[in-house]
Amino acid sequence: VTGGWRRAFRLGGRDRLHRDVDDELAFHLAMRAQRLVEAGRTPDEARAEALRQFGDVGAIRADCLTEDQNRERTMHRADVFDAVRRDVTYAWRSLRRQPGFSLVVTLTLGIGIGATTAIFSLVDAVLLRPLPVAHPEQLVAIGDPSRVSSMSEGSTVNTELYSVPLYRDLRDGTRSLSGMFASGRSGHLDVRVPERAGATTAVERARARFVSGSYFQVLGIRAAAGRVFTAADDRDVDAEPVIVISDGYWRRRFAADPRVIGRVMMLNDAPVTIIGVTPPGFTGEIVGQSQDFWMPLGLLAQVQPAYGWADDRSISWLLVMGRLAPGVTMGRARTEIAQVVKQALAEHAASAMDPGDVTRARQAEVPVTSGARGFSRLRSTFGQPLVLLMAGVGLVLLIVCANVANLLLARATVRQGEMAVRLALGAARGRLVRQLLTEAVVLAIVGGALGVLVAWWGSTALVRLASPAEAPIPVGARIDARVLLFASLVSLGTVALFGLFPALRSTRVGLSEALKRRTRGAAGSTLGRGGSRFAAGKLLVAAQVALSVLLLVGAGLLVRSIVTLQRTDVGYDRDGLFIVSVDARGGGYMDDRAALLAEQMERRMRAIPGVQDVTYSENGLFAGTESGTTLQVEGFTAEAEDDTTAAYDHVGPGYFHAVGARLVRGRDIEARDVSGAPRVAVINAAMASFFFPTSDPIGRTVTIDSLTYQIVGVVQDLKDHSLRETPIRRLYMPYQQRGGSIGTLTFIVRMDPRMPTAAKAARDAVAATDPDLGIYEIGWLTDLMRDSIREDVTLARLAGFFAVLALVLAAIGLYGLVSYTIVRRTSEFGLRMALGAAPANVLTLVLRESLVLMAAGLAIGLPASLAAARVIRGQLYEVSVVDPLTIAVVTVVLALSATIAALVPASRAARVAPLEALRHE
Amino acid sequence: MGDGVAASELDVLRGTLDLLILKALSWGPRHGYAIAEWIGAITDSALLVEEGTLYPALHRLERRGWLQSEWGVSGNNRKAKFYRLSARGRSQLRAETSSWHRYVEAVSKALRASAPSPA
Repeated sequence: VTGGWRRAFRLGGRDRLHRDVDDELAFHLAMRAQRLVEAGRTPDEARAEALRQFGDVGAIRADCLTEDQNRERTMHRADVFDAVRRDVTYAWRSLRRQPGFSLVVTLTLGIGIGATTAIFSLVDAVLLRPLPVAHPEQLVAIGDPSRVSSMSEGSTVNTELYSVPLYRDLRDGTRSLSGMFASGRSGHLDVRVPERAGATTAVERARARFVSGSYFQVLGIRAAAGRVFTAADDRDVDAEPVIVISDGYWRRRFAADPRVIGRVMMLNDAPVTIIGVTPPGFTGEIVGQSQDFWMPLGLLAQVQPAYGWADDRSISWLLVMGRLAPGVTMGRARTEIAQVVKQALAEHAASAMDPGDVTRARQAEVPVTSGARGFSRLRSTFGQPLVLLMAGVGLVLLIVCANVANLLLARATVRQGEMAVRLALGAARGRLVRQLLTEAVVLAIVGGALGVLVAWWGSTALVRLASPAEAPIPVGARIDARVLLFASLVSLGTVALFGLFPALRSTRVGLSEALKRRTRGAAGSTLGRGGSRFAAGKLLVAAQVALSVLLLVGAGLLVRSIVTLQRTDVGYDRDGLFIVSVDARGGGYMDDRAALLAEQMERRMRAIPGVQDVTYSENGLFAGTESGTTLQVEGFTAEAEDDTTAAYDHVGPGYFHAVGARLVRGRDIEARDVSGAPRVAVINAAMASFFFPTSDPIGRTVTIDSLTYQIVGVVQDLKDHSLRETPIRRLYMPYQQRGGSIGTLTFIVRMDPRMPTAAKAARDAVAATDPDLGIYEIGWLTDLMRDSIREDVTLARLAGFFAVLALVLAAIGLYGLVSYTIVRRTSEFGLRMALGAAPANVLTLVLRESLVLMAAGLAIGLPASLAAARVIRGQLYEVSVVDPLTIAVVTVVLALSATIAALVPASRAARVAPLEALRHE
Repeated sequence: MGDGVAASELDVLRGTLDLLILKALSWGPRHGYAIAEWIGAITDSALLVEEGTLYPALHRLERRGWLQSEWGVSGNNRKAKFYRLSARGRSQLRAETSSWHRYVEAVSKALRASAPSPA
């Protein structure tokens, strides 16, 4: 009857919900109609009346369905949530039961994701990230972007760095750029921040650059407080002396005092007013060097009055950056800029009557590159090694994925028996797959969380590791969310894939087959079918070992290289030498006065207690300046153009004795070599053998700028400015015969290295002689030397870090593999022991297998590392690419790691009681 | 009928209907037809002008978790859907009953007042 009612109202039920609603409504209508029939109506009348009393059937039916569908949806959601929670709880318990496995997978994921992200953050900060300014892609860098702290003096023809007049020529002559600014290093800066006007206060150090007034405007940086420079601040006449400070300096030095605007600081005793603070995150256009403040070029006259940087065309010290005008291509800008620069250089050379310079100017190359990533010294020194490290990062991530996959596969194989039993007991296959997948996802999430922690800690640690000095390189290597996401996705993808694959596989097995195999396993023939995958696991571990070898050898070579560099014979006794490099430009010292100044300071330094010897020279040792000249040698005919060049220095009396250099022939520069006395020179061994290969150089003469010097001594080759220096021709002439005005003057003081007050005493001696003298460089020679190889140290540290990381991962991989094989072969071992094998035999068996793996890895890795080491050959110093010591150390380290990684699970296998092992599975 | 009036009237009706359904089920499980009969008898068919409107209300209360339903056999041997109060439905009935009494009392008191209250 109900069916009839349903048909009568065309209630055609499609699914359960529809049918239920229709049945319910039909029941009501049928009951009502029946009641009406009982009351005496005809069936037809009753039906019509029932419908009338009921109302709009269609609308009511729709309303009921909507309610039911909503209810179903809510219930379904609750069900899913419940199921997931159950799965996760179960997975968690299951993972807790195998803490070793879970720990290894989590650690691998965590280290892999974290380290990858950390190193990428560093690479990104140094190499990839554009400047944090508006539209960095429009920026154009003019000059050599790596020479951020350089100054070049002497020639007007220079296109790597620019003089102020040349910058102005360029600025005024260029149409293809909408704006242009110049920036350059500062000279020595004594900073004082008096609490109130006139108060005395201690000298501080700060890092600052001179910039043109257009600097902030071209970069598109607005002040966070106060204002930035305008073109007016740039003019040297009547310019209000002002500076803009960075957010970092404001917070650090002024504790974020909002009243800092308008405060007066003293820069080399010139008062300047702070007019603005830059927004946080802006550290300047130089990557890896954050500035404390910026000074307009107009300040040169007040802060560095004697330097001549503001108007001398032969002092090149600025880098230039511009912004492309709308619609102008890089190519067009490049052409125009090169043309303007060459034109300006040639015009000046022509007016200076220097035809050689005119030719040089016309042929000059003008470096114009993208300025999007700013200027950076780090990029040119670290660029290639960092790219190599990135390749290493990629490999490490691959290893991580492979390791995890290997472990998951291993575990799935081990659990095939469990799965078979559960299937036999009636578990749904989908449910088991879901279960296994859930376990994988839980592992991935825990590993990922660990990865975030490692990345967070690691990016800071890496920057510190890469920074040789106490202060970290301010590259702002923050964790990059995109990278973290990428690394996580790759790892999670791996987990999902290698969780799903074995899950499907291990649950697909035919029941009887799997159960049979389980029993057969006890007979020790487990290696039958799983053999191929087992081989893949072995291959993987061998590959990891090979990669570790590659990285370890690389790191080992770099470390060896540094040790060699640090121990290299410089030709003099470096210990206990203290360097004070003085900037004497400001005092107007000429001729006799210059000579007297050196003598006076030498006397003052000798008076310092603990000082054993004092000498001086113009360029000093490792103090950053170097001089070169062309010369004529009596009886020598030049064959090539640079045959007549040599480096030179002017040195004080007793110079070679003071620095501890060995004279091969003749005598030292002595006190008698003064102005008016015969001009003399000491040449180095390289120069002697080049110009006088067969004869005695003593008594012969060289001529420089039409002045003739008699050679009185030959000194062994000294490394004056770089540990990597190969011997170049060099001659030393008496400072006291020098004449002319002086720029720098470097004192070399031999004293007790344990003297903590050395710096202060030396500084006082300088100040006592002339308070107006600035200090360029001050410190122990050994520190300056270490400073000179900081890039090498950084690279070696980074490579070492990665090598250790790869080694740890390889060890984990080996550990995982060995544990896996042991579990698989527990019954075999049990059988062996039952048949009389001693636990030691089982131990040896396992160890031998892992050592074979390691040997295989070495066999692949060593030749590969020899090939790869060629890439870093440029960084190596007196270390052969094939370095037996490095190879030996790497082999021992690997063998030890492999033994430890295998010993842990192997000893477990050896302890297994035979009976228990036979019962196993 | 204006929309506003229709809407408010509907709200009152709906609330009242829900309360009556809960009450109808307070003595035990019933199917929709029985509930309709009971409401019709008790209110002289004043509330349930169209019997069909009962069903969306039943389904709504079931979605809210106040009712549970299952298929059973009616007195005359037909398959019928029976509704039963859930624990939540029972407490809802208690809560709504007391608030209904308070409401009615307040309105009655207001209607009994003979003069505006002194200022």
